[in-house]
Amino acid sequence: MKRTIVALAAVAFATPALAQYPEQSIEVLVPFNAGSGPDASFRMLQPELEEILGQPMVVRNVGGAGGTVGAAQFAAQDADGYYLAFMPVGTTTTQPHLRDVTYDDTSFEPICMTIQDPMAVSVSPDSGISSMDELIARAGEGTVTSGGPPPGSLPHIAQAAVAAAYDVDFRYVPHEGGSAAARSILGGQVDVLVDPVGSIINYGLQPLAVLNDSRLDAAPDLPTIDEAGGPPLRYSIWFGLFAPAGTPEEILTALDEACQAGTATERYQATVENSGRTPRFMARDEFSDFFRQQYQDNAELLSAVGLAQ
Amino acid sequence: MLEFVPGAFSSAFTFSILLCLAIGTVAGIIIGALPGLGTVLGLVMALPFTYVLEPGPAIALLLAIYVSSIYGGSISAILINVPGTPQSAASVFDGYPMAQRGDGALALGWATIASFVGGVFSLVILVMLAPQLARFALNFGPIETFALIVFALTTIAWVSSGEMLKGLLAACIGLFLATVGPDAMTGQVRFHFDNLFLSAGLTVIPLLIGFFAVSEILYQAAYLKDVKLPAVTSGGFKVPPWSAWKPRIVTLLRSCGIGSFIGVLPGTGATAAVFVSYADAKRRAPNPEDFGKGEPSGLIASESANNAVSGGAMVPMMALGIPGDGGTVVLLGALTIHNVIPGVRLFSTQPDLVTLIFVLLLLANIFMLMIGAFGANVFSRMLKIPTTLLMPLVFMMSVVGAYAIRSNPVDIIVIAVFGLIGFLLRMNKFPPAPIIIGFVLGVPLEMSFRQGLILTDMNVLLFFESPIALVLFIITALIVLGQFGAFKALSRAVGRGKG
Repeated sequence: MKRTIVALAAVAFATPALAQYPEQSIEVLVPFNAGSGPDASFRMLQPELEEILGQPMVVRNVGGAGGTVGAAQFAAQDADGYYLAFMPVGTTTTQPHLRDVTYDDTSFEPICMTIQDPMAVSVSPDSGISSMDELIARAGEGTVTSGGPPPGSLPHIAQAAVAAAYDVDFRYVPHEGGSAAARSILGGQVDVLVDPVGSIINYGLQPLAVLNDSRLDAAPDLPTIDEAGGPPLRYSIWFGLFAPAGTPEEILTALDEACQAGTATERYQATVENSGRTPRFMARDEFSDFFRQQYQDNAELLSAVGLAQ
Repeated sequence: MLEFVPGAFSSAFTFSILLCLAIGTVAGIIIGALPGLGTVLGLVMALPFTYVLEPGPAIALLLAIYVSSIYGGSISAILINVPGTPQSAASVFDGYPMAQRGDGALALGWATIASFVGGVFSLVILVMLAPQLARFALNFGPIETFALIVFALTTIAWVSSGEMLKGLLAACIGLFLATVGPDAMTGQVRFHFDNLFLSAGLTVIPLLIGFFAVSEILYQAAYLKDVKLPAVTSGGFKVPPWSAWKPRIVTLLRSCGIGSFIGVLPGTGATAAVFVSYADAKRRAPNPEDFGKGEPSGLIASESANNAVSGGAMVPMMALGIPGDGGTVVLLGALTIHNVIPGVRLFSTQPDLVTLIFVLLLLANIFMLMIGAFGANVFSRMLKIPTTLLMPLVFMMSVVGAYAIRSNPVDIIVIAVFGLIGFLLRMNKFPPAPIIIGFVLGVPLEMSFRQGLILTDMNVLLFFESPIALVLFIITALIVLGQFGAFKALSRAVGRGKG
């Protein structure tokens, strides 16, 4: 009898607690510094999620080592729905293959994708190059240098894939990040940058082809790599919301729904588009499959370029 | 752009914007003055508050913090011999000796006005020449940046206060510390001892707190009887007379120019700029022997240069959308969140907004001058707090601030370990400034050199084909040879003295 009462009490208290999720503020870890690209990308979604969930979301920035310091801390958090993380493709699907980290694809439950920026091949507007064919011809005649973030980053992998697909060599010059590489391209010291389309347009670089299966609204005149007569390469920088593995199903569903509603608002769409990013919602089921696939694909890509450990 | 100025002023003179400027300035000065809380952290802390504001007040708040936090660092440098920010590391040399001899109010006067002049000077450059300068700065590729950093390293000679060998050794320690963490050229992690937290590398603020603040606290604790504490004067703010400014105007303007110029260029940063400016002022002064003993020229060289960097660093950010330093990275992110996207298109598509940002930057500098002048009375009262209470408080705030930057426990250990090492170095008369110079220049030095080698196909001789780099290398060589000449003359003089 006593046991039944306890069990009943547990059910009585537990059920409304779940139904009311969230009943306190939610901490969202962003494994990059405040003001950085990933941070800005989440801060655009933050007010929408707060309105829908009715609880404040506290952003915690833990920067360093390509996001791995923050991601490792996050993987060890309680899976109770009050610790989430907003992470990009690199931290979650390339870094685990590049270095010794304490997490892998099974450490996280993907909730939703919020932004997906296809990358484009670009050159300086002063370079006299205006198409992929001209760039590849240039690479066949002499040395073409390519800039971007440190080896193992997605822009590095993408430019290597472009060079390999066209059977030419790009000599890679690592920089602190995409913006520093853009400076070298504009200054004429380096020739090629493969980076998200929004950044390329904002830096004033000349995009040649987008590594996507269709043209973008932000750059309707920019041909896809297929249209430019090239191989069907698909590379993008994406961001998504994650929970630690083992988070209860009900909570994941609630978050997935909140994410869908939050990314659909006009305010969110306008803010993201104006910042040069591409809003892209992918619901939990689809995003989970996509994430695991990317994890596998990037492992193969990195070992192909000799970087995987 | 002129036609937008009246409109920009009328939209700037609203209650909410002026209030944000005032709050930002007060907060910025406090953040700058507290060791551990620097410009970047101040901007980051203010970011969430700006989400609920309109773009105008939000930008006003951030710009006020950006400008006044750089100035705030000088207050603690002058009054307690601990630089509040890395950018004011050179202000301790002459600021603190001035306070020690009872001229604290005067030192605050020099620093405040020099900061204001530096800020406004660089703003004028930003307004008049942003697109042209941004385009010029693009000529600084990896090889030119490498040459500039090698030149900046020569400043070690001028901040080593007669202990040249120890200064060079200290700089090597700094260069070595910069290699900890991810190697940007290969992505491999160096010297991390399989520790995840160490694999993120070291950052300058914990090192600054260790080498300057903690070692100073330990030093004062160990030698409390011998330490000559600043004389407590009536406090306040004293504007130095025109007769004292007049011979130093050239130094002031040169320092403004150096700060703005280095701010525009990639890779070097504000901390290196103040040392270059300080070294330049000392090299050209008729009385170099007074530097480090409370010479106002040293203080204004440092304080005008660091505020001049603020405008300079905004040139590539505004005109190209490419941030020049940590502060402008956060500013750029904040502007993006407020739907202002700096870059090539901003000047043509939103000239009214660009003008408003310039006007707000001007007002932020004016607020810094006024609040700095009125607030000096309050700051100098810090000195009336007994050292045994003040220093532990400074220590506690420093540690909290350093941890808050990226929530990495390694940063606290760094403070403790390098505080102790800094204390031992201080006892053995090793100057701490070269360690910081070596550290902040270490990463860009290695990176630009290795980038240059990739571009020239491992042929160092091709570095000399760049005219800009060649000029910088020649200047560097002349300075180094000049140092050896000075050594010879000195040893001859010593020899004669003995004989």
